[in-house]
Amino acid sequence: MVESKHKWKAWLYLAPAIVLLLIFTVWPIFNTVHVAFQEGYNELSLIGGESTKYGFGNFVDVVKYPGFVTALKNTLLLCVLTVPISTILALVIAVCLNSIKPLSRFLQTIYFLPYVTNSIAIGMVFAAMFNIVGSNIGGEAELITTSGIINNVIEFFGGEPVNWINSGSSYWANITVMVVYIVWNALPFKILILLGGLQSVNKQYYDAAKVDGTSRFRVFTKITVPLLSPMLAYVVITGFIGGFKEYSSIVGIFGDDMGHSGNREMDTMVGYIQDNIDRWQGRASAAALILFGIIFIVTMINLYVSKKKTHY
Amino acid sequence: MADNMNVTLQEKDMKKVGATQKVTGVFAKILCYTFLFLIAIIVLFPFYWMIISSLKTLAEYKLSVPTLFPKEIIWHNYVEAFEAANLGTLFKNTVIVGVVSTILSLVITVLSAFAFARLEFKGKNTLFAALLATMMIPGELFTITNYQTVSALDWKDTYTVLIVPFLVSIFYIYLLRQNFMQIPNELYLAAKVDGTSDLKYLWKVMIPLALPTLISITILKMMGAWNSYMWPKLVTNDTNMELITNGLRNAYSDASGDTNFPVQMAAVAIVSAPLFLVFLFLRKYIMKGVSRSGIKG
Amino acid sequence: MKIVLQNLTKIFPGRNKKIKEEVVAVSDFTFEIPDGKLVGLLGPSGCGKSTTLYMISGLQKPTGGKIFFGDDDVTRLSAENRGVGLVFQNYALYPHMTVKQNILFPLQNLKGKDKLKKEVMIERAYTAAKLVQIDNLMDRKPSELSGGQQQRVAIARALVKMPKVLLLDEPLSNLDARLRLQTREEIRRIQKETGITTIFVTHDQEEAMSISDLIVVMKLGVVQQVGAPQEVYDNPTNLFVAKFLGTPPINVFEGKVEGEKLYIGDAAVLDVPGVSDQPVTVGIRPEGFEIDPNGPFVCNLQNVEIMGRDVSVVSTNEASLNPVIRSIVNSDNKIEMGETVTFSLKSHKVFLFSKEDESRIYF
Repeated sequence: MVESKHKWKAWLYLAPAIVLLLIFTVWPIFNTVHVAFQEGYNELSLIGGESTKYGFGNFVDVVKYPGFVTALKNTLLLCVLTVPISTILALVIAVCLNSIKPLSRFLQTIYFLPYVTNSIAIGMVFAAMFNIVGSNIGGEAELITTSGIINNVIEFFGGEPVNWINSGSSYWANITVMVVYIVWNALPFKILILLGGLQSVNKQYYDAAKVDGTSRFRVFTKITVPLLSPMLAYVVITGFIGGFKEYSSIVGIFGDDMGHSGNREMDTMVGYIQDNIDRWQGRASAAALILFGIIFIVTMINLYVSKKKTHY
Repeated sequence: MADNMNVTLQEKDMKKVGATQKVTGVFAKILCYTFLFLIAIIVLFPFYWMIISSLKTLAEYKLSVPTLFPKEIIWHNYVEAFEAANLGTLFKNTVIVGVVSTILSLVITVLSAFAFARLEFKGKNTLFAALLATMMIPGELFTITNYQTVSALDWKDTYTVLIVPFLVSIFYIYLLRQNFMQIPNELYLAAKVDGTSDLKYLWKVMIPLALPTLISITILKMMGAWNSYMWPKLVTNDTNMELITNGLRNAYSDASGDTNFPVQMAAVAIVSAPLFLVFLFLRKYIMKGVSRSGIKG
Repeated sequence: MKIVLQNLTKIFPGRNKKIKEEVVAVSDFTFEIPDGKLVGLLGPSGCGKSTTLYMISGLQKPTGGKIFFGDDDVTRLSAENRGVGLVFQNYALYPHMTVKQNILFPLQNLKGKDKLKKEVMIERAYTAAKLVQIDNLMDRKPSELSGGQQQRVAIARALVKMPKVLLLDEPLSNLDARLRLQTREEIRRIQKETGITTIFVTHDQEEAMSISDLIVVMKLGVVQQVGAPQEVYDNPTNLFVAKFLGTPPINVFEGKVEGEKLYIGDAAVLDVPGVSDQPVTVGIRPEGFEIDPNGPFVCNLQNVEIMGRDVSVVSTNEASLNPVIRSIVNSDNKIEMGETVTFSLKSHKVFLFSKEDESRIYF
């Protein structure tokens, strides 16, 4: 490091970044906390139309509001379902990919494709695949012209078609579609990280295990998974953080209304914030702080657990 | 210990053991490939469905027994999608916002990373740690106030509002700083001895050496502009100021008011295509950048 | 258990479309390792010694030839069914397991009728640990151990399943000089105590010479010489072996034989009965020189280094193929610090090699 004669130079280089960060990062942190604790803060408060007092009013409003509870429930449910499913699936895929030679790079490229997509765009493709086209769907005089390719496949194997996302569809059908789509979307990143981890594992551990006659299953559970635990912890943490911020994939499938009925029954935390941002900024801020709190706690728990589990 | 080692296998046993281990090996390989191909089909199927659906007539799309390849290829769906969703304007907006914000962002990132990596000033480490700490906070928390700020500044419906709030990424500064730190300091000292200015050194030595990281940042930033949805929707009232992803949710209805799915799929394909092309040519940089960042553009 | 290698050959195919050239790692290796011996595979890097070891372990399949353990043909048997213990160059200790868990690991793999009771496993783990003197470190992680301790754990892990054959890949290369001396004695002791046929690979000739019962010198996949260390040193079959063994290395000269006399330069330095007239390469061990004012071999004196009991005389000669000639003589010799030094030669320390194929010419 060089002791620069002109220390102001460093600040000059940093100036653009610091100015922008002060306006768009530092100020929002203070302001959001401030707004969140101003009871009943809304778009009129900004122009001084309404006097407010400090308190937990916004938090109480948010927690009491059924829409927020739904959003919180959906977000948690999607997290709890998609993170384990996608992690385990990605792990199995990565281990398989790592054990083959021909076509390995080709398959790896294919598996990465969902990453370079627009989650709203491909969400619309998923919606089309699950979509029933016709009229009065879910009603008495139902008239179906096509039940969607997924239902076609289900029928081909002798199953009953399901109303996945159209009006009248059940909550769990909606959740299933979301889980399928989110897992599909989450696989590439996880495969990339886990495969990278596998490839950096010293091959000698496997040779040593082979000389000792270790079964495939034991190699997987006793060697591969423990050696991969830092990467597993990483994909689980980023998976949870991403899961709590789920929003655009739902827009892709259900549209800006966050559901098929107009009641925002598939709303998420971010969706809730987004919905309140231009009117009830106090509530939006309170919800954002709650979201931050949850992400913070989950990350800390994850770090704590992974520190206990990965000790080398 | 030596006495216990007379557990020799008979030759017959040995042959049998050799045969079984070969069979299980082949079986595992077959199982592995079957699984991987199945996953590949599942991964690829939505893309396939998007393309063939975008080329069908609405009538064919609605057939109760689906066709796996369009009977008649309707290229016109693409023209219709382009016009109906105002994709031309949105495309232009996205390119302008993407290019300008990438260039400005690179300049800011390079200058800041250089200051943090090579210059000595008071409070450097504290400042850097404080910046890293803000990475913990979800972006949504900033959005609320930023929305107020840009409203107050009367920036709504301008390119400025789409570009300026996201110019500084602490993560990119961090990434580039790490890269800069790996460049031996002797090079900088040598340049100082030769009387090279900081900026010239930065331009001639640091930037070429950190080029892969800069390319990764460029791609991720462009992908970010291409995929941004929430912020443009929030700060634009004029649909001519939206970005490409916003256009996707525009209505694609036929005369009777039903959704024209093939045209909708054509729009999706148009929006997806550039990302695919970029991926095709710059796969290495994208995968490298992503494995280090873990953020979706 | 004796080990027999029969025409063992390993050919690696070309790496890709551009490099089609095959690499012959091991060529036609035939050798019998007697039961209970410690054998060193010795050669420069890339000579195929590690490949040979991996073929014996079963981790690599030979392209041709056969491997027998005792009377059993194990060529087609995979590693886990051969009952070998293998110690890797980097030890390959599982970093997430304690020393105890590492040593227990091979035993926990046993299935069916070979399955052991938990107490038996722990007892055997402790027996192996005691043998290598690490039984006080059982609850540590590998990262908390020194290089030498890790090496011992690796040996214990290889020994715990009571292998028929113990294989060591460059066992000392990751240790510092002091530990290396200590550990090689240790390996010798453990091998003697267990009586397990042991093969180890090294590029360090001193290491191989000091502890092996037998050494195998390899070059580019071809075995050059097999024998007891002293025998190979005293009687190298070709120039390569002569140059590879010994510190300081052998001195090499251009020479010729005329009328059963060996000439280096113009001086007839030695009688070589029975050798026909021809140009030769001459190898003289450092201890093959004797200070002799009346001797036939005159060199330009450069330097004298006193090393206690011995004196190292550094000199030059036009015919020398090395930059300097190093000779070691007893310090009782008085050395005049003049322009030149004059030697006579001990004939059993002088070797002649053919100019054509570098093979030994005996006299």
